[in-house]
Amino acid sequence: MEEVADVSLILSPQLLAAALVLAAFYALIAIGLNLVYGAMRLLNVAHGELVMLGGYIAYWGFARWGISPLISAVFAVAAGALLGVLLYATIIRRLFRSTRMLARVEANSLLVFFGVSVVIQNVMAVAFTADQRGFSYMDGVLTIGSVRIEENRLLALAIATVACVACALFFRYARSGMAMRAIIQQREAAALVGIDVDRINIQVFALGFGLAALAGTLVSMTAQISPFMGFPFTVSAFVIIILGGLGNLLGSILGALMLAAVEVYGAALISPSFRSILVYGVFIAALLLRPQGLLGRSIAAR
Amino acid sequence: MRLALAFAAALFAAGATPAAAAPPVKIGYAISMTGPFAPAARTQLNAYRLWADQLAAQGGLDVGGVKRPVKFIVYDDQSDFAKAPQLYEKLITDDKVDLLLAPWGTPFHFAIVGVLEKYQFPVVGNSAASVTIRDIKPGNIWFTTSEIPDRMAAELVKFMKKENVKTVAVNTLQLPFSLEVKKFLMPDMASAGLKVVVNDDYAPDVKDMTATLTKIKAAAPDAVLSLSYPPDSIIFIKEARQLDIKSPFQLVLVGPTDYLFTKMFGANLDGIVTMGHWVPNQPKWPKAKAFYNAYMKKYGEPPDYLDSALAWMSIEVLQQAVKTAGLDKAKIRHAISTETFDTIDGPVKFKGVENVITPTMFLQFQKGRPQIVWPGSDATARFEPKPEWTK
Amino acid sequence: MTRQGWQTGLVLVAATALAAALPLALGTYSLGVALDLMMWIALAESWAMFSGLSGYVSLGHAVFYGVGAYVTVLLWQVLPLWFSVPLGGLTAAALALLLGWPCLRVRGPYFVILTLGISEFIKYAVISTEAALGRNGRLLIGTPSLTVLFEAMLALAVLSMAVLQIVRSARLGAGLLAIREDEVAAEAVGINATAVKLSAFAMSAFIPGMVGGLMILRSTYFEPMQAFSPTTSFTIVTVAILGGSDTVAGPLLGSLFLVLLSELLWTRAPEVYMIILGVLLVAFVLFVPEGLVGRAGRFLRAPKPGPSSRDHRAVVIEP
Repeated sequence: MEEVADVSLILSPQLLAAALVLAAFYALIAIGLNLVYGAMRLLNVAHGELVMLGGYIAYWGFARWGISPLISAVFAVAAGALLGVLLYATIIRRLFRSTRMLARVEANSLLVFFGVSVVIQNVMAVAFTADQRGFSYMDGVLTIGSVRIEENRLLALAIATVACVACALFFRYARSGMAMRAIIQQREAAALVGIDVDRINIQVFALGFGLAALAGTLVSMTAQISPFMGFPFTVSAFVIIILGGLGNLLGSILGALMLAAVEVYGAALISPSFRSILVYGVFIAALLLRPQGLLGRSIAAR
Repeated sequence: MRLALAFAAALFAAGATPAAAAPPVKIGYAISMTGPFAPAARTQLNAYRLWADQLAAQGGLDVGGVKRPVKFIVYDDQSDFAKAPQLYEKLITDDKVDLLLAPWGTPFHFAIVGVLEKYQFPVVGNSAASVTIRDIKPGNIWFTTSEIPDRMAAELVKFMKKENVKTVAVNTLQLPFSLEVKKFLMPDMASAGLKVVVNDDYAPDVKDMTATLTKIKAAAPDAVLSLSYPPDSIIFIKEARQLDIKSPFQLVLVGPTDYLFTKMFGANLDGIVTMGHWVPNQPKWPKAKAFYNAYMKKYGEPPDYLDSALAWMSIEVLQQAVKTAGLDKAKIRHAISTETFDTIDGPVKFKGVENVITPTMFLQFQKGRPQIVWPGSDATARFEPKPEWTK
Repeated sequence: MTRQGWQTGLVLVAATALAAALPLALGTYSLGVALDLMMWIALAESWAMFSGLSGYVSLGHAVFYGVGAYVTVLLWQVLPLWFSVPLGGLTAAALALLLGWPCLRVRGPYFVILTLGISEFIKYAVISTEAALGRNGRLLIGTPSLTVLFEAMLALAVLSMAVLQIVRSARLGAGLLAIREDEVAAEAVGINATAVKLSAFAMSAFIPGMVGGLMILRSTYFEPMQAFSPTTSFTIVTVAILGGSDTVAGPLLGSLFLVLLSELLWTRAPEVYMIILGVLLVAFVLFVPEGLVGRAGRFLRAPKPGPSSRDHRAVVIEP
């Protein structure tokens, strides 16, 4: 190949902007996944389906009734949270009912969520057909310095950033946020000091699913959606939480930045055809070299 | 309502009219109804279902001069290439269908070629084109498309030369069809003296193209060729607009003809060139408008100018072959390979697997509608340089 | 143990003889379904041999299937199939050794996700390789007949069951069970955990590699996105867990159940079939956690005290 990646491309603020937008989506999705894993050791492979549902809520709101996705986002978060609570109450709680079940909770959760994801995908396909959907919302292009960016992306970036910061504050200062962290670190001990683990679990599901649905509404503003769009998001989110450390919530944000950087800058430096190879390569290397995540558990422990 | 419709379709009640005494003609196909390809396969499936409606309304299918009721047997290949041959084998050996319609997409056509040869069962293919398939000279599949990659590459180069393109950027998805197009395009461009300034490939799960498009913007080529499938075509158009890529010639291979793109991009689709050789408003094709209207009536939106049209052409070819040849496989095969068919895309005749009458064409969106802009003999409008993206 | 082993052996021989005669009795379509059944049996038994016994849940067995398929396709019309298909199996086993050495140090959910990640990594590497080679999908015309493929797959299914049975009653199986119980303790009593895990992992990759080779001869079309599809990995785990992953009978019953269910349902309403499959999967994990075998065992046998099949983990390490 005759072209060589030149430095100006790498320093391009356009690339930085692309990486940040991607990272913002990823972070929002990954935090929810990591919460559910961290608190309950559940491998939620249906997480991407929540993103899809959030996208559909925004789409229908906009296409049918002209409701701004920003308003739909509120409904999406509520719907996601409700679904999380229902799922926890009807199914997940049963995974903890005996020590024997508890010993296999990771494998079991994998299967349960796989089943749930298949159900959600196909219920959506039956109800709304498998058509791809998309809409244009705030698609003007802004020029900021040398960066050109669609308004909806900037908006998505802003909302996702606010949501991530809010989460960080919530985990740091709010009572239930602290309780969630306590459970992530020391489940038994948390129960001993009087934290109502079951109640916190419900909140974890509500929050985690709500965040994924929020991410879905943001994704739908910038890309097309279909009932089968979720799995790639699930995979990316797993890669991120491994990079950032399972159970480490701030690590998820860092992991999201890393994955987005690998995708965008890897494509620029090497070749876009190596995107997936790079992503999984980094992921495998991180797992083998630092299985506790790049930050370890230390930040989560503070 | 929609739910009921989906069920009804899945249960294949549609099309079965018990009115006539003759046993129904069994028509089978398998297509992606679930899984990642289901969204892309919809516009083809819609054409099949429209046909089922029409047959029911007309009281059946004309088989060698006798009208017989039809029964559709339809399966979901779950977007799994490995399932397609098994399902077609089931349709042939277990359901004992009389006629087969094609699955969606090049890989699925690839996948069933072996089964069709094994059972010597003729199928008129549609949403697929492959030099690889043509080269193994199968005797039981034909393609209604005139966009077989080597022909398309040659025509595209001529088209670009005519529009004074000197420099080209190519961005290719790593799936069989787009790679095959690129494989023929590169040497053709080289021998025509076109200079390739950016040449990137990307894997199917791409989410962002900023790096490649930033390179393209810096190189400012006369032509940008996005050899892409619908999901990544969307990424390309969004990001090309965002980066304000100003190349006067911008081709997006697969996707724009799907009405979804018009809904998503509106005026920003204007100036985009894409593959396709059908439009409803070509006066040479009297049947085109009727198909457009019927589709519009049933689905409330225009057909995909590529896949829906190709699917409909394959139906017309089969229907006309059966009308003269009856249901005997050898006779159908003979009819398909020798007769000339009257379709919404004008006359079609096959030589080998290929449609040799319809020229390789290119469409361009102008004022929200696709127009044929190449070749000149069939054009419904003149090529226009890509206008500015909306702000 | 030995008596049970003999019984199992006899039943196996009789069932195999019956199954081998199936092509005489079945039509093309039914034989195709029987082939699928044998495929899932071979894959799930192989998976259970490693993951069921050791507790290391591999979500990446599709990679062995895919690699076997790729080797067979690369050597198509270069080498005879009786050579290239087993070579596909050996390549898969070699890959498992190579991957297992670093990966098997990682445990629990990390191992699950790691295996999925590696499988995807290799899938995209093969996609890139094929693109670089200018190969746009490969067609195999003139593959062996369905009957031949069925008999070969039947042989693999039987082999996979035999391997699981033998491993279970051998030192290797005891070592794996001990590792599942408590890896640190197992090493303390002198089990070379690394060697045990590695050899079992490689063994559990060998048959899936050959299965992949046979299935590509069946589908006649190779495309890496499909050959390395993560759905294969998920289905293997599902089948094994539905049946119960501790015994030879588990994956067998799980495969039978899945294939029958899909034959019953999918033709009628594809989306609904998928929905029912999902619901069943959830229901099984919640209400039949011991798998079909455990449930059937409890149902058939008089309720006798003592360990059910699930409690093999309590078995003391045998010499």
